[in-house]
Amino acid sequence: MIPLSHFMLISAVLFCIGLYAVLTKRNAIQVLIGIEFMINAAILNFVAFGQFDKIKGGGQMFALFAIVLAAAGVAVALAIILNVYKHFRTIDPAKIDTLKD
Amino acid sequence: MKILNFSADTLCLLTIIAIVFPFLSFLMIILGKQYKKSTISIFNISISFISSLLIFSNLWNGEVVHQQVEWFSVGSYVFSAGFLLNNLSVLMMVLVSGISLLVHVYSTAYMKGDENIHKYWAYLGLFCFSMMALVVADSLLLIYMFWELVGFSSFLLIGFWFTKAAASQAAKKAFIMNRIGDIGFLTGMMIIYAQFGTFDIVKLFGNGGLIDSASIVDGMWISASAEMSVIWLSLAGFAFFMGTMAKSAQFPLHTWLPDAMEGPTSVSSLIHAATMVAAGVFLLGRIYPLFDSLVLNIITVIGIFTAFMGATIALTQNDIKRILAYSTISQLGFMVAAMGIGAYGESIFHLATHAFFKCLLFLAAGAVIHQLHYHKKQHNLEFDHQDIRLMGGLRKQMPIAFITMSIAAAALAGFPFTSGFLSKDAILITSFEWAEGYNGFKKLVPYIFMLTSWITVFYIARLIFRVFFGKPRYEGIKEASSVMNRVLVVLAFCSLFLLFSFNPFSFDGSWILHGFVSSGVKRFSVLHVIIPEIVTITSIVIVFMAYRIYGSGATKTFPENGLIYRFSNRAWYFDTAYRFLFVRPVESISRFSYKFDKLIVDGLVNLLAVGVDILSGISDWFDRNIIDGFVNGISSFARKTGDFTRQFQSGKLQHYLVTMLTVVIAIFILTYFI
Repeated sequence: MIPLSHFMLISAVLFCIGLYAVLTKRNAIQVLIGIEFMINAAILNFVAFGQFDKIKGGGQMFALFAIVLAAAGVAVALAIILNVYKHFRTIDPAKIDTLKD
Repeated sequence: MKILNFSADTLCLLTIIAIVFPFLSFLMIILGKQYKKSTISIFNISISFISSLLIFSNLWNGEVVHQQVEWFSVGSYVFSAGFLLNNLSVLMMVLVSGISLLVHVYSTAYMKGDENIHKYWAYLGLFCFSMMALVVADSLLLIYMFWELVGFSSFLLIGFWFTKAAASQAAKKAFIMNRIGDIGFLTGMMIIYAQFGTFDIVKLFGNGGLIDSASIVDGMWISASAEMSVIWLSLAGFAFFMGTMAKSAQFPLHTWLPDAMEGPTSVSSLIHAATMVAAGVFLLGRIYPLFDSLVLNIITVIGIFTAFMGATIALTQNDIKRILAYSTISQLGFMVAAMGIGAYGESIFHLATHAFFKCLLFLAAGAVIHQLHYHKKQHNLEFDHQDIRLMGGLRKQMPIAFITMSIAAAALAGFPFTSGFLSKDAILITSFEWAEGYNGFKKLVPYIFMLTSWITVFYIARLIFRVFFGKPRYEGIKEASSVMNRVLVVLAFCSLFLLFSFNPFSFDGSWILHGFVSSGVKRFSVLHVIIPEIVTITSIVIVFMAYRIYGSGATKTFPENGLIYRFSNRAWYFDTAYRFLFVRPVESISRFSYKFDKLIVDGLVNLLAVGVDILSGISDWFDRNIIDGFVNGISSFARKTGDFTRQFQSGKLQHYLVTMLTVVIAIFILTYFI
C-alpha cells in the first residue's frame, strides 16, 4: 500500500508548481492551468485522505464535487479571458493593470 | 566844511545806504545771473562812498549820533542794535569806502578776463558790507558778528584762486589764525557781559560810562551790577587784544598775513594792507577805556616787537608782495604800539595815512606784477614774476608806476612832503615825550621805533631800486592800462601831505589829530624840531646806501648768507616753529584719532557686523536644516510611506496574489512559529 506521505508530497509538489505558474506566467491561459494544478493538488489530498472514510466515501464525494466545480470555473474563466482579450488585445496579466485606482 | 545839514534820522538812513549797497552787489551777483560786468559793483560802492562822505562832512568834529533799536531779548535781557557815528567811525567809513572804490576801479583792469570775476565782485561787496557795518556798529555783539564776516570774506578772497594749492592753504591758515583771535574777542565779550550786563559801546565806554564808573577797591573790580577780581579787567583787555593780534597780524599771530598774499593783488591791497587789518587797531580805539596799564604795557611791547620783527623780515624777502606784507605787519605794529603808549589820535592818524600809501604800494606792485605776467605769457617765458631779483629797469618802461610807487615808498619811509612823514613823526615824537615820564625798558621804546623806521627806509629803498633801477631785463614791457594808472595817481595824491595837513613839516596842523582826544603827555617843543631832522637826514643817508648796493651802479653788495640773513629771510623761523609746535602735534593727534577711529571704532562696528553675520548664519542654518528639515522630514516620510504602500496597488493581478500569499504565510508563521 502506498503510504499517505507520498500522496501528500505529490500534492504539495503539484500545488507549488501550480502556485509558481499562477504567480509567474505571462499568459492568462497558463495561469489558468496553474490554478487547475492547485485544484488538482487539493483533489488529490481529498482522495488520499478518503482512505480513512471508507464507509461514507466523503473524500471521494468532495473530489467529484470539486472536479465539477473546477470544470465550471474553467469554463467561466476561459470566457473571462476571452473577454479580456477582446478588451485589452492581450492576455498577459502583467500588462493589464487597470485594477489600481 | 559841511555841505548840507542833515538830521540824525537822515544820517542813519545814509548810514544804512552806505552799508547795504555793497551788500546788494553781493546779493545780486550771488542770486542773479553771473554778472561779469563791474558796473553794478562800482555803482554800489560809489553810492556807499558818497553817503560816507556826506555823513563825514556832517559829523566830523560834530555831535555824536547814536541811534539804536531793540534787536531781540532773551528773558529779561534786551539786546539792542544800532549805529554809533563818532569821529572814529565816520573817518573809517570814508577810508574803507574810498579805498574800496579805488580798488574796485583798479580791479576792472587787473582782474580782466578772470572767469570767476562775478564771484570776485560778490566777495568784494560782502567784504565792504561787513567792514562798513563793523565800523558803525554800536554793540560789541554786532561788531563781533561783522568781525567774523570780515574774516570770512577775507578767507574767500585769499582763496579766490582756489585751484592753486598755495592759495587754498593760505586761506585756511588765515582763517584758523583769525579764529584764535576770535576766541579772545569772544572771551572778552563774555567777561564784559558778566560784569556789566550790556554790549552797548556807548553805555560801556562812553564818557562817564560803566567802565569809567566801575571802581577798583582792594583788588576787586566793582561795577554797578557785579564785582569780580581785578585780574578779570586785565584779562578782558588782553582777550580783546588777542582779537586785534589776529586781525591786525601782531606777533605771535602774524604769520597768516604774508601767506595771504596768494590772493589777487588788488585784494591784498584793499584787505590785507589798507582796511581789514586796520580793524584790529580800530577795535582797540573803540574799546580804549577798557585797557588798564598792564594791558597797555603788553600792547606796547607786542606792538613794538612786531614793528621791529616785521621790518627785519622785510629786509631780506625777495617776493615783492611779501616785502609789502611784512612792511604792513611792521606798520600795524607801529599803530598798535602807539595805542599802547596812549597815542590814540596818532595811531588813528597813521592808520589813515598808511591805508593810502600801503594801498598804493600794493596796487603799483600789482601793476608791475600784472605787466610782467602779461609779458611772460606773451613770450612763453618761465620766471617768477613776483621776485624782485628778476625785475629791474622798469623805471623807463613803467614811469607812472615808478613815480607813484616812489611817492608811496617815500611816505612809508617818512620823507617830508608825504603823509607818512606827518603820521610817523607824530608817533615817534609822542613816544619820546611819553618815555620822558618813565624809566627802565620804556625808555627804549622810542629808540626801537626810530631803529625800525630806519630799517623801513632801507627795505623799501631796496625794493624800489631792485624793481625800477638797473638795466631793463625784459624788452617791450609797457605801462599798465590807463584805468590802473589813474587809480595809482589818485592814491599818490592822497599819499602826499596836502590831504592831511597844510603844513608839510608839522603834524600839529593835521585835522585828523585834532579830531581825537590828545594823548595828554607833556609836550617838548624841542623834540618836534630835532627828531624829524635826525630821522630825515639819517633816512637820506640810508637811501643813498641802499642805492649803492641795489641801484644802477651797484658798487657794494649786501651779504646774502650767514646766520642773521637766514634768520630774517626765513621770517624768524616762526612758521617752522609753529609747524613744529602746533601743526605737527595736531597732525599727529588727528592721525592718531583717525587710526583710533579706523581701528577701534570702525573695528568695533565691523566686529559687531561680523558677529551679527555669524549669528544670522547660524539661525539661517538652523532654519534651513532643523526647522525646514523637520517639516521636510515629515513630508518625505509621508511620501515614502505612500510610495511604499503604493507598490501594493500596482493593479497587476499576480502582484496581488504574491502579496496575498506573503500575508498568509506571514500569518501562518506568526501563528505557529513565534
